Amino acid sequence: MVVQASKQKAKTLKKPAIDVVLEWFKTKQWDPFPFQKKTWSAHAKGESGLIHAPTGTGKTYAAWAGPLIEWMDELGKKPMPKRPPELRVLWITPLRALVKDTTHSLRTLVEDLQLPWTVEERTGDTTGSIKAKQRKRFPSCLVTTPESLSLLLSYPETKEAFSNLRTVVVDEWHELLSTKRGVQTELGLARLRLWNSKLKTWGLSATLGNLDIAQATLLGTNKPGKLIDGDFKKKFEVDVLIPKDMEKFPWAGHLGGKMVEEVAQQIEGAGTTLVFTNVRSQTEFWFHALQQIRPKWKDEIGIHHGSIDRKERKQVEVRLREGTIRAVVCTSSLDLGVDFSPVDQVIQIGGPKGVARLLQRAGRCGHQPGAVSRVICVPTHAMEMVEYAAAREAINERRIEARDPLSSPLDLLAQHLITLALGGGFFSKDAIKEVRSAWSFRDITEEEWGWVLDFIIRGGDTLRAYDQFKRVVVDSDGLHSVESRIISRFHRMSIGTITSDPAIEVKFSTGRRLGTVEESFISRIKPGSNFYFGGKLLTLKRVRDLTAVVSLAKRGKGVIPVWGGGKSPLSSELASGVRQKLEAAGMHIFKEKEMRALRPSLELQSIGSRLPKMNELLIERTDTREGTCWFVYPFAGCLAHEGLASLISYRMTRLEPMTLSLSFNDYGFHLCSTSTQEFNESDWRNLLSPEGVVDELLECMNLSEMDKRQFREVARVAGLIFQGYPGARKSNRQVQASGGLFFDVFSKYDPHNLLLTQSRREVLDRQLEVNRMVSTLERISGQIIVRESPSRLSPFGFPLWAESLRSQVSSESWSERVKRMSQQLEKSA
Amino acid sequence: MNESLTIDWQGELLQLLADRAVFWPKEKTIYIADTHFGKAATFRKVGIPVSEHTTMEDCQRLAKLIDDTRAQKLVILGDFLHARAGRSQPVRNLLFNWRDQYQKLSIDLVRGNHDLQSGDPWPELGITCLPDPTPSKKNTWELRHLPPEEEVDRPFLAGHLHPGYRLHGKGRDSLRCPCWVVNEKRIILPAFGSFTGLKNIKHEKDEKIFLTNGKEIQELG
Repeated sequence: MVVQASKQKAKTLKKPAIDVVLEWFKTKQWDPFPFQKKTWSAHAKGESGLIHAPTGTGKTYAAWAGPLIEWMDELGKKPMPKRPPELRVLWITPLRALVKDTTHSLRTLVEDLQLPWTVEERTGDTTGSIKAKQRKRFPSCLVTTPESLSLLLSYPETKEAFSNLRTVVVDEWHELLSTKRGVQTELGLARLRLWNSKLKTWGLSATLGNLDIAQATLLGTNKPGKLIDGDFKKKFEVDVLIPKDMEKFPWAGHLGGKMVEEVAQQIEGAGTTLVFTNVRSQTEFWFHALQQIRPKWKDEIGIHHGSIDRKERKQVEVRLREGTIRAVVCTSSLDLGVDFSPVDQVIQIGGPKGVARLLQRAGRCGHQPGAVSRVICVPTHAMEMVEYAAAREAINERRIEARDPLSSPLDLLAQHLITLALGGGFFSKDAIKEVRSAWSFRDITEEEWGWVLDFIIRGGDTLRAYDQFKRVVVDSDGLHSVESRIISRFHRMSIGTITSDPAIEVKFSTGRRLGTVEESFISRIKPGSNFYFGGKLLTLKRVRDLTAVVSLAKRGKGVIPVWGGGKSPLSSELASGVRQKLEAAGMHIFKEKEMRALRPSLELQSIGSRLPKMNELLIERTDTREGTCWFVYPFAGCLAHEGLASLISYRMTRLEPMTLSLSFNDYGFHLCSTSTQEFNESDWRNLLSPEGVVDELLECMNLSEMDKRQFREVARVAGLIFQGYPGARKSNRQVQASGGLFFDVFSKYDPHNLLLTQSRREVLDRQLEVNRMVSTLERISGQIIVRESPSRLSPFGFPLWAESLRSQVSSESWSERVKRMSQQLEKSA
Repeated sequence: MNESLTIDWQGELLQLLADRAVFWPKEKTIYIADTHFGKAATFRKVGIPVSEHTTMEDCQRLAKLIDDTRAQKLVILGDFLHARAGRSQPVRNLLFNWRDQYQKLSIDLVRGNHDLQSGDPWPELGITCLPDPTPSKKNTWELRHLPPEEEVDRPFLAGHLHPGYRLHGKGRDSLRCPCWVVNEKRIILPAFGSFTGLKNIKHEKDEKIFLTNGKEIQELG
């Protein structure tokens, strides 16, 4: 071995650390923003906090330079060490796809400043050998995900390895905030703070309506912090492509095929374009439509959504970064992750649904300081024009949706406590304090705590008789730990909270993976028929063992898959903006060009029926061939309307026995019956009463089916479902069961299992937005009910009437249900 | 007794029993498939809390079926035991208690893929283990666990698939239940075990599908 003596004198810092950083900014010809400087000085004082700013404004450097300055300050005049410092910064990011970009961008600053820091990533993709090497000696900064942090906490050695940790940065906190992964982050942070009470936590977030709560959730209960506003009045522009022939523009629909040519022209006129849609099937539709109208774009445009295989998506992301792609049609799968590759133009197809979402999407372009972030909106039906006008106003006034943290998800607690039991063990008395320091668990009761402990130690009520069940064992001192190696292995393999529904993998016969579709979709396609997926026309060859083998179709047409879920309701902020715009239109005020374009339709609504004022609830009644139709317009978003429609029809059937069919959208709901029953003002008051909503919902909706579906996620997080991973040993198959099966078994033999309660609560909160239903009904009780009887369907009513998604309210036996559904099957066949 | 439905198959009258079994009155034989005893115990081994309630229930259902039909013979079409890890004391006790009540009953098991791994049942249970396929008594049809993929000459009864069918109504309305899949040449039985999953199947043209919720039976279509 040759030892080379270094003749160079060891380097020392010649100036204050802050100046080193400022100089770097100067070489980049940047001027640090005030919020960046504020963050650095707060960090230097040992403070924690939350930085909120639109994307592309330099949040990363605001948070990253602080820890570097701190280290340089500690170094002082001492010579610059050769050896990288041990782990000082943990950088948590919600998306694995973001890890690489983040690592790269953090490294840039370190290298430019010639600091001996190492920045490495650690995710589920990191190889075992690298992980093992890291566990021996961690890099100075580790970029990772919530799951990987949780996994690290399951190793007792981590505590020692993290003893030098000074700062945790949580990127895109707004994305994690109201998710179980966010709660997982909170619990991880609670542990890190227990190890080091001086740990600084910094969150990076988009602007939200409840930043104080967002900050409290990140920092934990009773921890002061600094909220740093980086929203330096960045300019956003919401532009709308007004259909040329507004008279003929449809009142209903969601694909927006009429505007393809206009969109193609917009794409032609710019460098790189992101075309955002609201759902995956719409992405497939638009990608195909653009290719049809511009065949020469075959290889110039890309498609990106959550069901496309990661490898395929990655290719699109790389081309986007390199700027070698003209346009990408995508869903919110690209809301994040293109932070490092700004584009020239952003197009939004369909309604924005939320202010924050539109802001986020607009922020994908106009990254140069002082530049305007502009989004071009393309309506799919006429009423979306109102949403655009309302969204623009809300953006200008920065009226942005709040995101609420979750409240005590016990499935996640069960998972975390086993992680703690593995990672050196815990005592109940200390652990409850630690867990309660996380905002989402601040209100957890002794009873809930006791249940979760019992669940992980003895397996809950029904398992007391089986002494061989010892997931977590308690020794005589009260230390909870895991002894069984097989249980440790299974737990580590199943850490993580993202659920993927059982999906069918789409593959070529060569084995190349294209992505996933839902079983219910593929089961309706016959082998030999075509469907569109990932922008390709494919022929289904066969389906076997959760795999659909396909080949490229030569020609012909195909159907577009529909993926369940993902339908986000119109936000309350935007809905209230829409109501304001409609009130103005009712008073003949048409300020915005969208409202002017929509004027004929709105006047039709006004003449035939009414444009409701802010303090009015509009109810229309129209007789059609199907029977009597009632249309109610609370403007509370599609999820709450689904629940309201079921609730109101249930209440109607109690007044008079009848069968009702129903439909709903973001603006209202529609009930139709062959009954000729009249409802007067006081009837409607009773029907719309906010009393007893939850109890009646439980009676009238087929909630157990919904609970069962939701239980999949709960079961997986709580470690009941072991999903395994590619290449997992086959023997794991023997312990695979579906969430539905657990749901049935628990409902029957362990009905007091709190995980069942939780899954019910998640259905009510997330799938039906019960809180919003109740607050809507409370609002209505203070509103004037205006009843109109238009002779023909109004512009508001038409889309509801046309909505094919209908369900019926009735009470049938199992065999009646089977008979009815199998008859419907024949009709559609 | 829960519902039953008689079908004419291969010139014999067979009863589909809503408890996910088939009864052949002439020979006083009950056919069931895929009991997967010991599955819950296998789960507990890796720290997933599931009780033996399903095993108790399955033993009770089986007892009731034998009482109701006065069967003299039980044929299990494979996957009697779920896994080697499931050969635990609680499961053994439950099965032994059940067997004690029906000492005269003759029991055959066509070994399924799970049985090959978990080993033959405890000898005290007095179960005759047979290879897959085995011709039935009097050679009327074959008894199988795995339904063969290619066309075969001999008609057969088989399990393995855990067939289930999902019906879709309007909107979010949907319903999924276990089923028998019957055509001229074969009967695929639903899984008997209560702690077993379902695999969705398609309705092929030449097949009849009989759905059950454990109490009633409905033919599809």
